[in-house]
Amino acid sequence: MKINRQALIGSALGLLVVQGALSQNFIFPLWKKNYSTDKPNIGAGLAPDQLLVALAGFREMIAGILWVRADSFFDSGNYDAILPVIRLVTMLDPKQIDVYATGMWHIAYNFTDEESRSDRRYIPTALALGGEGARQNPETYELFFETGWLWYHKIDDDFGKAVKWWEQAQQRKDILPARQNILAMAYQRNGEIEKGLNMYYSQLDRANEVMKAQTDFGARQQRDTTENNIDTMLVRMSQRGLMGPMSGTTNMGVNYDTQPPFDVGFSAQVTVIQPRVIRVRCTWNVRPVGTRIRMVLRDADYPNAVAGGMNWDFSNDVQLDPPRDKTFMQDQLFVRNQRVERKIDMSRDPTMYPFTAERYIVEFYYNPRSAPPHIQDKFGWNGEGFTDKNFINKTVRPGQTVMYTSLELTRDQILKLGDWRDRTPLIQTKNFRESDKFRRDQESIKIPGLRTAPVNPGDQRTQPLR
Amino acid sequence: MGAAIETKKLTKSYKTPKGSVNVVDGIDLHVEEGEIFGFLGPNGAGKTTTIKILLGIIYQTAGEAFVLDKEVGDTAIHHLISYLPEKPYYYDHMTGMEILKFYASLFGIKDDAKCQALLEKVNLAGDGHKTISQYSKGMQQRIGLAQSLLNDPKLLFLDEPTGGLDPIAHIEIRDLILKFREEGKTVFISSHELSDVERICDRVAIINKGKIERQGRLEDLLAGGRYEITADVSEEFAKKIQENDTTVSWKAGRLLVDMPDSISPNAIIEGIVAAKGSVLSLIPRRKRLEDLFVETVRNVGVNKP
Amino acid sequence: MKIILSIASTTVGEAVRRKVLLVILLIGLLFVVVAPALNILTARQERTVLIGLTLGVIQLTAALIAIMLTVYMVPNEIERRTIYTILCKPVQRWQFLVGKYLGAVAALGMMIGFMTIVLLITFSVSQREFDPTKLAPLVKGPLMNFFQMSLLSAVALMFSTFVSPLVNIFLSSGIYMLGTLFSPLFQTLVESPSVNTVTKLFARIIHWILPNFANFNVQNPLINPGQQLVNEQLYYITTIGYAFFYIGILLVTAVLIFDQREV
Repeated sequence: MKINRQALIGSALGLLVVQGALSQNFIFPLWKKNYSTDKPNIGAGLAPDQLLVALAGFREMIAGILWVRADSFFDSGNYDAILPVIRLVTMLDPKQIDVYATGMWHIAYNFTDEESRSDRRYIPTALALGGEGARQNPETYELFFETGWLWYHKIDDDFGKAVKWWEQAQQRKDILPARQNILAMAYQRNGEIEKGLNMYYSQLDRANEVMKAQTDFGARQQRDTTENNIDTMLVRMSQRGLMGPMSGTTNMGVNYDTQPPFDVGFSAQVTVIQPRVIRVRCTWNVRPVGTRIRMVLRDADYPNAVAGGMNWDFSNDVQLDPPRDKTFMQDQLFVRNQRVERKIDMSRDPTMYPFTAERYIVEFYYNPRSAPPHIQDKFGWNGEGFTDKNFINKTVRPGQTVMYTSLELTRDQILKLGDWRDRTPLIQTKNFRESDKFRRDQESIKIPGLRTAPVNPGDQRTQPLR
Repeated sequence: MGAAIETKKLTKSYKTPKGSVNVVDGIDLHVEEGEIFGFLGPNGAGKTTTIKILLGIIYQTAGEAFVLDKEVGDTAIHHLISYLPEKPYYYDHMTGMEILKFYASLFGIKDDAKCQALLEKVNLAGDGHKTISQYSKGMQQRIGLAQSLLNDPKLLFLDEPTGGLDPIAHIEIRDLILKFREEGKTVFISSHELSDVERICDRVAIINKGKIERQGRLEDLLAGGRYEITADVSEEFAKKIQENDTTVSWKAGRLLVDMPDSISPNAIIEGIVAAKGSVLSLIPRRKRLEDLFVETVRNVGVNKP
Repeated sequence: MKIILSIASTTVGEAVRRKVLLVILLIGLLFVVVAPALNILTARQERTVLIGLTLGVIQLTAALIAIMLTVYMVPNEIERRTIYTILCKPVQRWQFLVGKYLGAVAALGMMIGFMTIVLLITFSVSQREFDPTKLAPLVKGPLMNFFQMSLLSAVALMFSTFVSPLVNIFLSSGIYMLGTLFSPLFQTLVESPSVNTVTKLFARIIHWILPNFANFNVQNPLINPGQQLVNEQLYYITTIGYAFFYIGILLVTAVLIFDQREV
C-alpha cells in the first residue's frame, strides 16, 4: 500500500484552504469579539519585548507580579516608574479594574510639584486610561464611575462629561445605590436641575422599594439620605429663584438671592520675585470663605489648550509620554479676606517646569459651577447671580457666566534673563491697584462653625445638628 | 528452489558537498533459499545500507533488488522476512513479553502462547516479566531474535548479531542461528565477527567500499590451504626442492617448507627420507576466513577516494 | 488501525516514563498547588488571579511537554534503531508516524487531564467551592489547551521529520509564540488606518497560513466571569474543527516528507 503522493499533496492544499477559510471567516471574527484583549491603540507606546511578554500567555500572572512591583514604587514615590507599569499591567490584563482605577487616580492626582500643584499634562492620559478600562470592562460600572469622578472632581469644569460617564455607570447592573447619588449632583453642577431632582426622586422610589423588602440599616440610611438630598435641593432651588419658573408660576417680583448679579471685582498681578519664583496677587470681593480661583500657567502653544483648561479628552490613546518639554500647571488660589497672595516656587521641579519655550500664559478662571453651595446660592448654578466688571466671559464656556482673563509671561521674565536680569518683571490686569489689604497679612479669619461655638448648658440651638 | 535475495547492479549514492558518493556500488548478490549467508565487510563498507535497501527502509539509486522473488519496497514481503538491527534498543520500560506482544501486533498477531513459546526458544522463558532495562546485552539480543521470529520468517536479516557479546552469549546466538537453518529459514548475516561467520555460514560475500569483492561458497573461497614441513636435512637437498609457489628456507641444518595443499607433500617427504634427513613435522594449514578477508580488503587497498 | 493504536500505546507508555517530561509536569503541578499561596499578588480578586495563574501554568507546562515530547519522538527511534525493527514489519511509514502522533496526543491528554484534576482539587479546597456547576467551566481552559497542544505537537512532529531536535525546539517554540501573538498583531495591523495595503495583504497571508494558537486561549471569560461571550458554542466547535484541519495538513506534510526520507 504505497501512498499516493499527488493525492496527499492535493488534500493538504485542500485542507490549507479550508482551515484558512474557517479561521478567517468564522473563528477570527468571534475571537475578536470574545477573546481579543488587544484593541488597536493599546500597543502604541510599548516596546516590542513588552508586547511579546504581554501576549505569550500568563498575562494575568505577570500583571499581578508587576502590580506588586508598582506598589513599591508608590511607596518610594518613584512616579515616573509607575506609569509604564500601570500601562503594561492594564495591557497584560485589561480586567484588572483596580489597576485601572488606582492608576488613573494616581496619574491624575499624584503627579504634582512639591507644593501639590497639579501637573495637568497627565490628565488626558488618566482619562484615556479610564476610557480604555471602561471599554475593556463594560460589564461593571466601576471604571465608568471612576472616569466620571475624574471629570467631576479633578477637572472640576466640564460637568457634562461627568454626567455622560455617570449615566453610563448608571446603566450597569452592579452600581451601588450610594454611587448613584452623585449623578444627581453632577446634573446640578451641569445646570440640569430638573434632571438632578428627578434623579433624586427615582432614587427615593427605589429606596422605598428596598425598604419594603428589607429594613436593615443600609436600606434605611439610603432612604434617609435621599430624602435629605431632596430637601436640601428644594431649598436651594427656591433660594436661587428656580421654583417659580419651574412650576410655571413667576417669582412674583422677588429676585431671590441671585439677583442682581454680584460683581466679584477681580484683578490680578504677577511678579517674578526670583528666577522661577512668582508672586500672585488677586482681588476678589466675596466675603464668605470658600472661593478658589483657578490659575493656570502653561506654554502659550500648549497643544489642545483652551481657555482655563484643555481639551482633556482629545485622544483615546493612553499617552505614556505627554509633552515633556512643556508646562501645564494648575493651582487653586484660595481667597481669604477678599484677596489672594500666593508665592509660587517652580525652581525645584524642573520636570514639571522645563521652561524651554519663549512665551507663557497665566490664566485666571472662575466658574460658579465649581463653587461651594453657600456661594452658589448667590451666583446660581450657571452664574446667573455672578458678574465681573472687567472679566465676565460668556463665550469660553457656552451657556455659563464665568470669569476669565490671561496674562503673558516670557521665558526671560520667568527666569530673569536678558533684559530682566536686574529688573523685576511685573505684569498685571489694568484694573489692579495696590490695596492695603495685601499688607494686612496678620488678619485672621473666623470660620463660623457649630462646634467651635461656645456651648451654653441648656441651649439646644448650639448643639451639633443630628 | 528460487533465490531468497537477488540484486542486480544495486547502487546507492549519496550527495555530498564534494559530489556523489556511491555507498553501495553496483553489487550483484545472490542468496539461495535455506542457506546461511555471511555478508562481510569492514565498517562503512555498505553492509547496513544494503540491508536497509533489501528491507525497503531506504531506496536504491539504481539497479534492481528482489527479495523472495518480489521487488523490494513491497511491504507484502515484510510478512515473510524479519530484521535484527545492530545494537538495537527496545522500549526499555516494557517487559520482554510486552515487547513481543507489541511486535506481534504489528503483524496483526495476537497470540500470547506463541510469544511465550518464542521466549522459551531464546531461553528467556523465566525473564518475560522483567523489563528490558533489567536485561543484559545478551538477553536483549535474544529478545531481539525472538521478535524477529514472530512472523515465522522465511528470511532473516541479522546485523552483527553477536557484536559486543560475551563468549557464552556468542555461542547461544550462534546455536540459535544454526537452528534456523534446520528449520529451513534463510539467514542473511552481516558481520565482521569472522570466526562466527566461518563456523555457521554456507556462503559469504565480502563487500568493501560498496563493491562485492568475493562471493561464493565458503569451502570454495577458503580452498587453497598449505602444508608446512619441518625437517633436518642438508643444504644441497633444500636447494633441489625449489618449486612454484613453494617457500623454502634452510638455516643451520633445519628446513622449512611452505607449500600449497594442491601439491602432494609425499614427494618431498620421500625425498627427505631418501636424503637421510628426518621429518620433524608436517602441519596442514587450512585457509582461514580471516586470511581471505584481510587479503581481499588489502588487495583493494586505498585505490580511490 | 490496529497497528497505529499499537504504536500509539507504546508511545504513551514511553512518554509517561520520560524523566524530562515528568520533571516539567511535576514543576507545573507544584505551581498549581502552591498558587493559592501566591495570592499576595492579587490586585482585586483572589479567585481571578488564582484561575489566571493556574491556567497559565497549565498552558506553559503543556506547551513545554508537547515540544519536548514530540521533538525527540521520531529522531530517538531512528537513533536507537527501533524504527528499523518496526519498519521492516508490515508497517507503512504513515502508520508509524500517525501512531507516534496519536501516542503523543494521548500522553499530552493524560498529562493535561492530570493537571486539570489537580487544578480542580486545589481550586475547590482553597476557594471552598464544591459546586460542580461552578467548577465545570474551569475545564474549558485546559480542554482547549489540549487541542492547542495537539496542534503544537503536530507542528513539532512535522519539523521532526527533517530537522534536528535542537533546531526543532526553537522552531516549534517560535511558531507557537508567533501563532499566539499574531492574531492580536494582525488585528492591530488590519484595523490601523496608517498601515499600507501591501503590509495588510502580507499580514493577511501570514495570518491565513500560520497555525493560529491564539484561537485556543479561551481563559479570559473563565478568569473574568463578567465577560459576555458571543456564540460560545459555535466558537468552540469551529476552533476544534480548525485544530483538526490544521493537524491534518501537518500530518499529511509530515508523511510526505517522512516517506521520502532516508532513515
